[in-house]
Amino acid sequence: MWGTGILKGFVITMRNMLRGTITVQYPEQRLELPERARWTVTHRFNEDGTPKCTACLICVKECPDHVLRIDVSTKEEGGKHIDRYVYELGACMMCGLCVEACPFDAIEMSHEYELATRSHDDLTRVLLADVDAASLRRAKKEDADA
Amino acid sequence: MSTAAVVAVRIAAMIALLLANGVVLIYMLRKVLGHLHRRIGPNRVGPFGLLQTTADVVKLLTKEDLMPDSADKPLFWIAPFVVFVPSFLAYLPLAFGPTLAITRTDTGLLLGLALLSLIPIGVVMAGWASNSKWSLVGGMRAAGQQIAYEVPLLLSVLGPVMMAGSLDFSHIVEAQKNVWFVFPQFVAFVVYAIAAQADAQQTPFDMAEAESELIAGYANEYGGMRFGFLFLAEFSNMFIVSAIGTTLFFGGWYLPFLSGNAIALQFAPVIFMIKVYMGIFVMMWARGSLPRIRVDQLLSFAWKGLIPVSLAWVVISAVAVRLWPFFAGLVSR
Repeated sequence: MWGTGILKGFVITMRNMLRGTITVQYPEQRLELPERARWTVTHRFNEDGTPKCTACLICVKECPDHVLRIDVSTKEEGGKHIDRYVYELGACMMCGLCVEACPFDAIEMSHEYELATRSHDDLTRVLLADVDAASLRRAKKEDADA
Repeated sequence: MSTAAVVAVRIAAMIALLLANGVVLIYMLRKVLGHLHRRIGPNRVGPFGLLQTTADVVKLLTKEDLMPDSADKPLFWIAPFVVFVPSFLAYLPLAFGPTLAITRTDTGLLLGLALLSLIPIGVVMAGWASNSKWSLVGGMRAAGQQIAYEVPLLLSVLGPVMMAGSLDFSHIVEAQKNVWFVFPQFVAFVVYAIAAQADAQQTPFDMAEAESELIAGYANEYGGMRFGFLFLAEFSNMFIVSAIGTTLFFGGWYLPFLSGNAIALQFAPVIFMIKVYMGIFVMMWARGSLPRIRVDQLLSFAWKGLIPVSLAWVVISAVAVRLWPFFAGLVSR
């Protein structure tokens, strides 16, 4: 019948009104992020606080946006030393390819999503500085010694 | 009290009602539309966002009074008042209770509707004087729409007027002591509801504003309190058409089954206002439910749909009102 569509529309909006609001009032209330949500890149650490990163540079090569940079030096007694692990957050598109490529599970996509900064410089993060890279050979040797 | 003092008090009451109504309706509109969309609406300024409108008013009052360079300056200056003043004056004949009305005339309904029909002139003036394409299209649409919908509005009013035998709001309400006119005059009520929605320029008939097409239509070039006047007039029109509808079809201050109750009559203005705001709620509900229709559909709907229906209904109810005593006599004999 003519006009029933309009009445149906009225019923739908009234039903919506009676169902209550679904707004999440963001700063006070937050939704839980899905497990696999991808935000900033962060490092994973061993129990003793040393990074799992071996400075293999695969993440750097894999990154399509060139947002990762690792300054590496070689120690006198052998092994790698990470001078700086720099993460250009402002250019990162959170694709997660670096995490997929990492053979040591040393980095992961965190759930940190409030990324606004007051200054552009704050978007360049130094994730690691002046720390020895993890070494599988050394770990094996230590295991054997023990 | 001297006559002048009484008049001054009444005008002050009118202004107070208009401003309070504007403030309440802006808040109510946001909340109602929000909840219809399952949002919360304003809730940051003050408890439950109650001070949001106050903040808006302060913003409007403190804004710079801009005038476009190429505007038609006298017309641009006067247009908001041409919109605002008739809408303000249309509060004059409303009857809020058996004894409470700003003024009482025998032709109150005619006066109210005549004042309302002046508003499109101001809207066209605003649209023309702004010297902007969007404003002009908005103003022209408003003219076409309001002239088209004035006709069914006036025709739909005739039914209740014939049944009540008066144009005085108080008499019309008293005639509905036993039966609200919405029942015998249902067709007239439907026509009135549609035409009133168009007359108050509410979605789905907000062709003059049409945010998504014309930005803000005729109010485009206005800012500050001039825009505030246009805005306020819109909300005051909503109140007026809802009040006229309440008076004509929903028994004004009478409650069902309690028509002669003295206690109920004590609260006549309160009952009347509650009914008016329920009417406004339905208008907002329509606003939140229906999409804006196209302007040619709008006009053909008025001229080819509403006007023939309301004309036919005028004839039917005229015959029925004339013949009613005869049939009633047959039954009682």
